[in-house]
Amino acid sequence: MTKPHRNLVRDYAQDLRLFGSPLAKTGLALMLVTLVVLPTVVQDDFWLSVLIYSGITAIGAIGLNLLTGYCGQISLGHAFFIGAGAYCAAVVGGDAGLPLPLWLLASAAVGAVLGGLIGPFTLRLRGHYLAIVTLGLIFIGEHLWRNLRGVTGGNNGTSVGAQVTIGPVDLGALEIAGENYSRNQGYFWLVWTLVAIVALLAKNLVRTRPGRALRAVRDHDQAAEVIGVRAGRYKIGAFMVSSAIAAMAGALFGSYQQHVSPDDWTLLLSIQYIAIIIVGGLGTIFGSILGAIFVGALPALIDEYSGVLPGVATEAGGDGFISVFALNQAIFGLLIVLFLVFEPRGLAGIWVRIKAYFKAWPFSY
Amino acid sequence: MNAFLTNVFAGFALGSTYALVALGFVVIYKSTGVINFAQGGLLALGAYLGYTFSNNLAVAFGFAVVLACLSAAVVGASVERLVLRRMVGQPPFAVIMITIGLLFVIDPLITAIWGFDNLPVDNPWNIQTVEVGGLVLGVRDLWTIGLTAAVVVAFFLFFRHTRLGLAMRATAFDPEAALAQGISARRVYATSWAIAAALATLAGITLAAGPGGLSPSIGFIAFAAFPAMILGGLDSPAGAVLGGLAIGLAEALTRGYQDELFSWAGANVSLIVPYLLMIVILLIRPYGLLGTKDVRRI
Amino acid sequence: MRVTTKGALALSLTLVLAACGGAGEDDSGGGGSAGVPGTTAGFDGKTIKLGVLTPLSGTVAVIGQPLTAGNEVWFEALNAKGGIGGKYKVALVQEDTQYKTDLAVQKYNKIKSEVVAFTQVLGTAPTLAVLPQLRTDKMLAAPASLDALWVREDNLLPVGGPYQVQAINAMDYYLSDGGGSKSDKICTMIQDDVYGEAGQQGIDFAAGKYGFTVANTQKFKIGTENYAGQIGALAGAGCQMVFLVATPSDAAKIWGTAAQARFAPQWIGQSPSYTGALAKSAVAPYMQQSVLIVAEGTEWGDNSVPGMKDMVAAATKYASDQEPDYYFAFGYNQARAMTAVLEKAVELGDLSHEGMLKAASRLGKVGFDGLAGDYGYGPAETRNPPRSSTIFGVDPSKPFGLKKVKYNFTSDAAKEFEFKKSDL
Repeated sequence: MTKPHRNLVRDYAQDLRLFGSPLAKTGLALMLVTLVVLPTVVQDDFWLSVLIYSGITAIGAIGLNLLTGYCGQISLGHAFFIGAGAYCAAVVGGDAGLPLPLWLLASAAVGAVLGGLIGPFTLRLRGHYLAIVTLGLIFIGEHLWRNLRGVTGGNNGTSVGAQVTIGPVDLGALEIAGENYSRNQGYFWLVWTLVAIVALLAKNLVRTRPGRALRAVRDHDQAAEVIGVRAGRYKIGAFMVSSAIAAMAGALFGSYQQHVSPDDWTLLLSIQYIAIIIVGGLGTIFGSILGAIFVGALPALIDEYSGVLPGVATEAGGDGFISVFALNQAIFGLLIVLFLVFEPRGLAGIWVRIKAYFKAWPFSY
Repeated sequence: MNAFLTNVFAGFALGSTYALVALGFVVIYKSTGVINFAQGGLLALGAYLGYTFSNNLAVAFGFAVVLACLSAAVVGASVERLVLRRMVGQPPFAVIMITIGLLFVIDPLITAIWGFDNLPVDNPWNIQTVEVGGLVLGVRDLWTIGLTAAVVVAFFLFFRHTRLGLAMRATAFDPEAALAQGISARRVYATSWAIAAALATLAGITLAAGPGGLSPSIGFIAFAAFPAMILGGLDSPAGAVLGGLAIGLAEALTRGYQDELFSWAGANVSLIVPYLLMIVILLIRPYGLLGTKDVRRI
Repeated sequence: MRVTTKGALALSLTLVLAACGGAGEDDSGGGGSAGVPGTTAGFDGKTIKLGVLTPLSGTVAVIGQPLTAGNEVWFEALNAKGGIGGKYKVALVQEDTQYKTDLAVQKYNKIKSEVVAFTQVLGTAPTLAVLPQLRTDKMLAAPASLDALWVREDNLLPVGGPYQVQAINAMDYYLSDGGGSKSDKICTMIQDDVYGEAGQQGIDFAAGKYGFTVANTQKFKIGTENYAGQIGALAGAGCQMVFLVATPSDAAKIWGTAAQARFAPQWIGQSPSYTGALAKSAVAPYMQQSVLIVAEGTEWGDNSVPGMKDMVAAATKYASDQEPDYYFAFGYNQARAMTAVLEKAVELGDLSHEGMLKAASRLGKVGFDGLAGDYGYGPAETRNPPRSSTIFGVDPSKPFGLKKVKYNFTSDAAKEFEFKKSDL
């Protein structure tokens, strides 16, 4: 007898399996190999830093996708939680000098607490009203950051001295088998390992009971209540988890950049995150990561090659009518519009379509 | 007492600007169900168009304002036609993001054409003042309040007594029934965007004619008008005007008494007072002061 | 089966890792000799690259653009004469920071390995943000900011009399020739960050020396749209003189609001508060009446100052559409100071980052031909910045709209100001 088709699934547990098919297994192996080997091959500081920022953004995006993509709560306030995480890292990691696991978890805890405070708003408000209240959160947060000078340094910003040390190992200055690794290489491994861990945790959350509950709340919360899903509890829970993850991303951001100021946590950052999950694909974990890489690499690419683009002013008094920053913004806006009009399911949607094509091949017509 | 009245007057002037912007938001929301995040961009664009007409083309200020409003209306209608028409039927979240995307495209466009510097708009008001009963009142502020009042009255008359206004109200209430009556939804959508853009332009130009001058960040005032719209209720024009005035007064009074009463809340707390007020009101009335309650059925 | 596959995978991974290796140490400037420095980061044997971190867009671009043009024109004129030591041309690598601290740090990290030093880091807050990195990377940078904090920093090459000195001289002028007295209500309005605090520090020092008190201080965030509150508070406190520390966009709004509120104290603005466009705006008549600016140097085109003639000639030749602008003059001066360091570094044969630091500490006094006060460089502990300032009034008929009211004076109190190293 021939073997059954590779996509045959016999039971529910098998259906839920993360890396069940041979394709998925090879994909996983490839990703792990890339994670380990990439910094040793790409030693250029600039590209490593772009990838590190993308990784940090991916963590934040996974958090936002849990809240908005899976639970359907529109939140424009993501930047607030990221900022809170960064300042927590500055205090716990920098001033108190605690090691990496402690300040990372402390930031997550602070994020969860803040999320728990904001979460109850979702019980009272919905849709557009909730979106604008979270927008208000950003402005209120900005006011706090500018005025709590002791913690945040006020308008000047503050340096974040959080060191990435786990016990005796300092990831910022790795030495393995006699080879010295640069700060960027160490950070790359740290950040992307954390991306893998957070993605795994989120994926596990999403493919089991809580995930189904979140989707039920997203689709119709009253109907969900009727069948026994406690909508309020899951909404607040989603807020807490998403804020905790965002705070972790913020902590990593602060420790990498070593200096943060209230200007970092603006509405623009929240909108970037929403754009990332839209471009990546709402309601997918893989999409958050894809979106983060795409949207993170784009400004860096424009920056690098702005000299070649016609009409871009790169120097003071240079010719060109649009500055690099303005060009970035314009392309970003166009990207959002184009993706929403032509591919609302995002990059993950494109990926799913490619996979589906080959899954049904040679009968994919 | 003088100080209090000066602050109240400033509050009305600020509130008028907010009311204009919020009214624009509500017009679009009421007919199309979209929150237009690009309203700030339209405001800035309209103000810069006014600058071009007034300074570069040396048109008399009054005409410049009218021309700018008309051109902005054309821009608004074309944006609706080209971009938002394709988004019919998409989830509201997606449409909000499209308007944000538009904002991101309009902003760099403005700085590419007009640069980053503070531009002085040629206008007859500038920083002149009149004295009324011991109070020093800015001429521009008086005109802002006056123009806003006139526009709001005209607006309500339009909606109540003209065919197009009736058509818009009908489409807002029930698009399908309106279509069945022969009302063109296309015209209604385009008109609502055009009106919103014109309102934003008026707000922008009156703002730019003040001591601040015209700079690309003039569009940010729209973010402060969000609370006004929400406070009044997303689909209530009267609520928008009320909300705008309330927010303006609250902000101006907080700002005026910052040193004496509000120094504990941090510097410049007047900037977030609109949002705090909005949150408080929403907790009591989740659909705003005059908004219609969402009836949700399973 | 599975175990061996995994084992094979693990083995191959370690082999690959061992092959690729880490970042390793980076080379320090490969041996040079006096007069002929070896190649190093930012120097390829022929061209010396200098970094520029400046706002090319955003509200402070009105300062960043002309200042950078000043840098560019000086170096173009220098390159036309052969370059550093007659041999090495200088090129600038410019990055846009939009006056934001986080962008400044990012862009710094982006170009630090491409340049020998930074000839411009614009903004007190951005400079402060980049300073810890400058220390770790042993890099030299010239801040386009006049905070007194920079005087005692080895990694910074400041130019011009600091803000604190400007503020002290301004108060000296007000209390002597400016028609003010100690009993007047003297107030300050400052940007709510390090830049604002520098001016405030100067005023507080002057208050101690001259015996007056600051009646009211108003702070504002950069980019605020509405200043009615602050102006109302100052008017309510009855201020007769207000010292303003702001950037041009905000200053325009502040003075406009004050004019509309009919509040007309004697305003004295710190040098970055002004730009030429203000003299052509609707606020100009108010400014003519009530505003003075404290800065350094002289009116554009004032040929009684030797350096001015050369600068105007260079500007006309290399940047013919450059309008008269004292930020241009500042950038020009910065480039002159950096040139002195480069010449010294070439003389010592070492253009590496540490070599530049060494050269900066070996500099003596650098003169600016009257465009700015002579600066006594050397090791950071013994540096002596110029203590002189110029008071300008607003006059739309003059180029850049400024006319000199009192040129190049030094108050005794300014001479007594001590520069201490801060523990940042």
